Amino acid sequence: MSESTTFCDLTHRDTERHLLVAVDESANSKRAVMYLADFFCDFKNVFVTLLSIIPEPSEDFFSTEEERAEWLVEHRGTMEKAMNDYRGILYGAGFSEEQIESRLIVKKCVSIGDAILEEQKKLRCCIVVVGRRGISHKEEFVFGSTSNKILHHAKHCAVMVVE
Amino acid sequence: MGNKAQQSDIFSKSSIAELITALRGADQVPKKFKLVSDTTDFFKLDYNDVVVLGNRPYWVKRYEKEGRFGLDDEPKYWVRRVVDLIDGSTKIIKLVFHEKFETKIGDMVIQCFRSPKKEARILDLITKHPNFMHGNWVLDEAGNNVRILEFIYGRRYDDMVIEYGNDHEDYFYNFFPDVLKQYIELVLAIKYLHDHEEKHGDIRRDHIIWDRENKINRWIDFDYNYLHGESMFSFDMQGLGNILIFMTARGDVLAPNLYHNQRELFDKLWGEDMNISYKNRVANLKKIYPYIPESLNRVLLHFSFGAKIFYENTDQMLDDLEKAKDDVVSLTGRTA
Repeated sequence: MSESTTFCDLTHRDTERHLLVAVDESANSKRAVMYLADFFCDFKNVFVTLLSIIPEPSEDFFSTEEERAEWLVEHRGTMEKAMNDYRGILYGAGFSEEQIESRLIVKKCVSIGDAILEEQKKLRCCIVVVGRRGISHKEEFVFGSTSNKILHHAKHCAVMVVE
Repeated sequence: MGNKAQQSDIFSKSSIAELITALRGADQVPKKFKLVSDTTDFFKLDYNDVVVLGNRPYWVKRYEKEGRFGLDDEPKYWVRRVVDLIDGSTKIIKLVFHEKFETKIGDMVIQCFRSPKKEARILDLITKHPNFMHGNWVLDEAGNNVRILEFIYGRRYDDMVIEYGNDHEDYFYNFFPDVLKQYIELVLAIKYLHDHEEKHGDIRRDHIIWDRENKINRWIDFDYNYLHGESMFSFDMQGLGNILIFMTARGDVLAPNLYHNQRELFDKLWGEDMNISYKNRVANLKKIYPYIPESLNRVLLHFSFGAKIFYENTDQMLDDLEKAKDDVVSLTGRTA
């Protein structure tokens, strides 16, 4: 969606049914993908990007460069496996290969929610889908909540939070 | 900053003795001392030894301990008070101690680690910022990142705050406007870190020292780091909230104390009025001290169990604090 158009712009809406599903390896992400698969499987003009952001710890988290490299390989591996599973869920529901793209991004980020919204803006997705972990009020206070961050800060798109 | 050099050959024991004599007199030269340039085993560093760091000799004195540098009343063998033998100034040196530990916020546990690199990075960032401890860092002969900190002459600010005023009302009307001004300055300092994508990591009231020479508050101790969740800054924000609650109340208002001593106040409280980090501390202070302006109390309520939304960053909090400051000034007639 261009800067000048809005979500309600009917002239653009039909060509821009691009959904961004922000996932990690958790059960709630899997639930979000399953929900999406079930809900949109009959829409052949829908395009889905599976996005996973791996927040890279600061350099001082690791004692050596080898430790850092090992951490990245391990986390990438886990996430790639999860992304394959999610693609499998979408294929199983009837999505075709052309309808799905995966993006795995390792980056330092102040906020994972902000990093997801940056991608949304870049890709011009009209819906962002996220799972909700169901953390306590206190955990949200101390660690923050990605789904809440997206709900509060998303612009020019709809947000779907799957519990 | 940070020069790794062959430091062991620069000074001899006799040249060190000459430096000590020039500074403190011949009678102060220790009979036995070691010259150390590899600080890896900091337990071997004894009183009166001399550490050579970045071509400069530091005469080792006492360990630092108490809350000011971490765990209460436990000596911190990696934090030493030293005398710079070139200019005679007192310094603090923090040696490398890779420690992983758990920090508790009430019943929640956060996996933390001590990071010399982070502290060194921040020291480079805040060289000109008055609200932080200052210093530099060097790599010792073994490559350990040693931070050499300027000694701050002064007291913990929270210890000073609890001594202000005869009672809370006196404190609030006569001292709090300045305390709030000081607090806002401290939040602005944390904003400076956040704007540069750094976190303090261990925001506690005993990490604020009132520098009596420069008449300014300074944050100390930023070597804590942790893997953050959604937001890099939320842990810092909760620390700032706890300090504001403490400063507004001139101490912690504890539910058990109210229960035993001021039952009528205790009976007015609900769970949502309590501090979200520490459930026995009251956050909704207007119920205890009714003269606290609404605008200030609203800031406090962001750190209560009843909060519907939390501050995500210092900018949001500072906006609300400005309004609160204006209301405190018009209520008390004091501009600090």
